[in-house]
Amino acid sequence: MQPIIITTLEEYYPEHAQPKVADKNDLKASVEAAGLSDMWNMILTFDYGVTSPDELSPEKRDEFLNVMSLLLKAFDR
Amino acid sequence: MLTRPEKFFTEIGTDAIDRGLADPMLSEFFSAVMSSQTGTQALRLKSFLPYLSLCSDRVTDDGPPPIFYVGSQSSQRDLFGEGWAAPATVSKALTTPDPELEHAAADGYRSALNGKPYYGYARTPVSIDGNLVEVAFERLIVAIRPSVQSDYRFCAYFGVIQDLQKKT
Repeated sequence: MQPIIITTLEEYYPEHAQPKVADKNDLKASVEAAGLSDMWNMILTFDYGVTSPDELSPEKRDEFLNVMSLLLKAFDR
Repeated sequence: MLTRPEKFFTEIGTDAIDRGLADPMLSEFFSAVMSSQTGTQALRLKSFLPYLSLCSDRVTDDGPPPIFYVGSQSSQRDLFGEGWAAPATVSKALTTPDPELEHAAADGYRSALNGKPYYGYARTPVSIDGNLVEVAFERLIVAIRPSVQSDYRFCAYFGVIQDLQKKT
């Protein structure tokens, strides 16, 4: 992996302030608002075998929510 | 002495799948999708999802649509690694890590989004974390509408790595 080189103070982002996995309810609302609920349901049920992220372990839930964050970015919605 | 070009992407066409020339699992996936009606194809994805990468319908002049899902046994996860396929945090859209590969791969997605499933073969050098490898793979790309009511489609990519060698 290439090292990240910071040259100005404005570029510095403290590690403790790094973005965390998005909140589940906010993310679900964003996916619904974007009209992408079909993808939320398909991936959750087909891949993770559950109907709600609450049924997943914390690690799997974060993984799923990251997929949904990527979904929103992929459709630019 | 035989020589071959260092990089090529060629469309073989889905007739080759019908003639039994493609990877068996890829063929099974193609049959499942093509035998389903538009709007119900997504229902057939369950058993194939581990082998697929999924991306949006936002193809650009510079590259294929961004990826949002990389199956646990997909060729892209094998090639680019877990850290790429499942980033711990999401700050930008996911694309393959080699810009040249992105550019060269885009036509297949355009074809699929224009209604013609794309089946082709490619051999190309790929830069992964500064290491150069040469990879040969067959790939099928189909555009799927999640349901009849959906106003968007997604692309399902089924890749099969045929050869992978480190370049010195």
